[in-house]
Amino acid sequence: MKKLGQKIFGWIDERVHMDDLLEFMGKKYVPINSHSIWYYFGGVSLFLFLIQVITGIMLLLYYKGSEELAYESIQFIMSKVEFGWLVRSIHSWAANLFVLAAMIHMFSVYFTKSYRKPREITWLTGMLMFFLALAFGFSGYLLPWNELSFFATKVGTDIVGVLPLVGKPMLEFLRSGEDVTGATLSRFFGFHVAVFPGIFTVLLGIHLLLVQRQGMSEPLGHEGAAHDEEKRMPFFPNFILRDLLLWLLILNLIALLAVFFPWELGQKADLFAAAPAGIKPEWYFLFMFQTLKYLPAQILFVDGELVGILFFGLAGLLWTLVPFWDRKSSRGERNHLVNYLGLGAVLYIILLTILGWLA
Amino acid sequence: MSEPPSIPPSESKRDFLKVLLGGSLVAWVGAILYPVVAYLRPPKQPEVEVTSVTVGPLESLEKGSGTIVRFGNKPVLVIRLDSGEVRAFGATCTHLDCTVQYRHDMGVVWCACHNGKYDLSGKNIEGPPPRPLDVYRVIIQGDEVLVAQNT
Amino acid sequence: MFLVAIAAAALLVVGSGVARSEDQCVTCHRLLGDDPSRLFARDIHAAAGVSCAGCHGGDPTAEDPEAAMSPSAGFVGVPTGDSTTAMCAACHSSPARMKEFGTALPTDQQEQLSASVHGSPSLSGGRQILQCTSCHQAHGIVSVREPSSPVHPLRVVQTCTRCHADASYMRNYNPSLPVDQLSKYRTSVHGVRNAGGDSRTAQCASCHGGHEIRRANDVNSSVYPSNLPATCASCHSDATLMAAYGLPTDQLELFTQSVHGVALLEKGDLGAPACNDCHGNHGAAPPGVESVSHVCGTCHALNAELFAESPHKTAFDALGLPECETCHGNHDIIVATDALLGNDAEAVCSQCHDATSNPRGYAVAGTMRRLVDTLARAEEDARLLVEDAEQKGMEITEAKFTLRDARQARLEGRTMVHSFNEEKFKEVISKGLVASASAATEATEAIDEYHFRRFGLGVSTLIISSLALALFLTLRRIEKKPRPPRAPIPTHQQQGEEQ
Repeated sequence: MKKLGQKIFGWIDERVHMDDLLEFMGKKYVPINSHSIWYYFGGVSLFLFLIQVITGIMLLLYYKGSEELAYESIQFIMSKVEFGWLVRSIHSWAANLFVLAAMIHMFSVYFTKSYRKPREITWLTGMLMFFLALAFGFSGYLLPWNELSFFATKVGTDIVGVLPLVGKPMLEFLRSGEDVTGATLSRFFGFHVAVFPGIFTVLLGIHLLLVQRQGMSEPLGHEGAAHDEEKRMPFFPNFILRDLLLWLLILNLIALLAVFFPWELGQKADLFAAAPAGIKPEWYFLFMFQTLKYLPAQILFVDGELVGILFFGLAGLLWTLVPFWDRKSSRGERNHLVNYLGLGAVLYIILLTILGWLA
Repeated sequence: MSEPPSIPPSESKRDFLKVLLGGSLVAWVGAILYPVVAYLRPPKQPEVEVTSVTVGPLESLEKGSGTIVRFGNKPVLVIRLDSGEVRAFGATCTHLDCTVQYRHDMGVVWCACHNGKYDLSGKNIEGPPPRPLDVYRVIIQGDEVLVAQNT
Repeated sequence: MFLVAIAAAALLVVGSGVARSEDQCVTCHRLLGDDPSRLFARDIHAAAGVSCAGCHGGDPTAEDPEAAMSPSAGFVGVPTGDSTTAMCAACHSSPARMKEFGTALPTDQQEQLSASVHGSPSLSGGRQILQCTSCHQAHGIVSVREPSSPVHPLRVVQTCTRCHADASYMRNYNPSLPVDQLSKYRTSVHGVRNAGGDSRTAQCASCHGGHEIRRANDVNSSVYPSNLPATCASCHSDATLMAAYGLPTDQLELFTQSVHGVALLEKGDLGAPACNDCHGNHGAAPPGVESVSHVCGTCHALNAELFAESPHKTAFDALGLPECETCHGNHDIIVATDALLGNDAEAVCSQCHDATSNPRGYAVAGTMRRLVDTLARAEEDARLLVEDAEQKGMEITEAKFTLRDARQARLEGRTMVHSFNEEKFKEVISKGLVASASAATEATEAIDEYHFRRFGLGVSTLIISSLALALFLTLRRIEKKPRPPRAPIPTHQQQGEEQ
């Protein structure tokens, strides 16, 4: 067995010359410090994304993306396809866990200031991937074409329409028309399985390449792994094994969730029915949704909802550009403002999400 | 002089670990592959049947007879007239939801509950039923009879 | 026409003041010997002091015909078309006028007539089908209570059938309207009594109304199916009235609580019978003992057919038992339940059958009831299983569909009871038992699949846990070694050799 492995490896090596690559990878290390635990969440996000790709492709084999058939095709997958129930529930649960893991990864990178030079591009690609993850979630949510997803999409795209000038064209672009119809479903389907995965893969490639090239960042004040063997562990095999172990446990968690908390299908969307009371989006949009609900109809002379949207847009932009305005961290100094802003953001998000959930 | 080193206890542990690792890895791969392969096998009903339902071969429908088929969760009455023509109607009586039947001797679709009668185009012609039966489209594909929604 | 009315009203003020003896119209026309003047002598209007001029206008004091009948004096001559009714309505629609004459007559007749079916345009167009005079006549009008009045209860029938029994006349208006009401009526209890001089019994106006007659399919008609029971009850629930005939008065009360009454009156199901569907309308009479099953059978055809072929038909007829009514009642028919069947005290079978007398029927009743109970239990068990599977989130629309067949079998069973034939009954019930079993199997399979998934999860968790353990141990092994040694540590032997 071992000999066969060596033979195959040799055959490839003769043609691809992987010596320097292997040497480089053998030298790769992961710093051991009090914040090391956060290093795992990038890998967890990657793992969950891979699960989404695999289960997504499997679902694609049976899902039909038209208004007449979408709901029924998922019902078919849940009841007639062997293990279809499992694949579907895994896809739905892993989607939520993926967004959660991405959030944790993003916040941990933020608080450890790992975005500072030379890792600005890594941060940017990461933020874009995060926004894509939310877009994945929003577009995928419509695909079962049930009551909940239909109205959530309607409310969500309505918000886009509030923007002045660009709002209406954007809304019509998203909805493929003025209202949410079967055309919207087709468009969201195209986004979800082709456009977003394509862009995401490119960003992911850049992100991973940079992480490999630049190695793991160390939080300020915890430097030293470069020089001290005690303060680091080899990526292969130590960290990889730890990663795999964690991934395995997460896989088990998802299986547990899929069996004990199967994802509902609900009722088929009825375009002419009234929206059910208390409609709300998925949890990762809840804090923004709840904020908009609290805003008064008019703030000064501007529409309240518009103020909210612009606020979040601006906040998102500033957050994405943090490597460029946080000069202190690049210089190696502590930046308390960044910490407070970040803490404030986390608390706000948690609080508003809870409020939105209880409403 | 020291004794020749016996196989250190870690060696046997190593073997056990190798067995455990190899064994559980194989089991794990199997536990992943089995559902995936089962999923990829097309199910008995290969496609979601929402817009049309296969009734069966034309010869299986005797002339002058009717049969009930399941369309989604609704019953549909498929009748074959003496002329050979096949027609399909919703089998739920529009009066009080009993299941209707084709009565060749009476030349009508009849509801046993309160003597309601529908003609062979589904129209309510006698008795309590207030509305005609839903009409379904009949498609003959080769020698297979299909019933579809009437758009 | 309105002007005529005004003129007539104005003239009445004048005309009423004229003493009868001074009524020159009558004097002259009586000399002529014409019918109106002859008839008018008996007219109730004449007795009230209304002269010819009161309706026709003109000057009743003038002897000269030209002066009396001059338009300048307000003479309008013989009214035609709707002016006739307008002429009557000029007083009869005025409450003030009626008060003046000291009468409590209603004043809505013209309004009702215009809204009624008889207020529709006549053949020639331009006027209503009926005018007041069509039924009440013009000059010899007497009180409704007078036997000679054409609208007296004993004479209404003749008045109505003057048109309504004339086939060629009715064909002009409504070719499909029957014209045999009178002949049917004369076979009914009402018609017989009416012919015998009973003025309290129902005649045309009792049910259809007088002025406000509407088509039977008009929702406001007193004989529209959902209004009909109340119409019949206006007499048949009147205890004092019915006492004279020895008839019960609880029919409406029973009917409204019955399954037919609820269907017709509460659910608006026009397929449900009103009084006339069982009793007939013009030929109203309770169905005879032998015909009950035929009457019920107009809707409950299969039950009637089975009953007619069963041994109960001859038995009941011989005993003078009213067929369906014997077990189901007539007005108070409640929804039939399984409790009606069997050997226990509340079953209707026990009224005649017990273990010693009529033992064969007793046995059949018992068997049927047991079969019905078995099916009910099987269906219920299957339904619970299906619900359980559904609650667990499993897909079982096919099982739910199969349950329909079980329900259908129970319905068919309830009908097949009327054959009182054990074999046929068993056949029907067994179909239901098969369906229930099939649904239960499918539901059980779904529940088993549900449990299999949990078992599968347990197995995968076990595998994952052992793999995780293996990884963990491997990791620990790797990390126990401080670092892979650069050179192998020489053993004592080797050291010894080298030295």
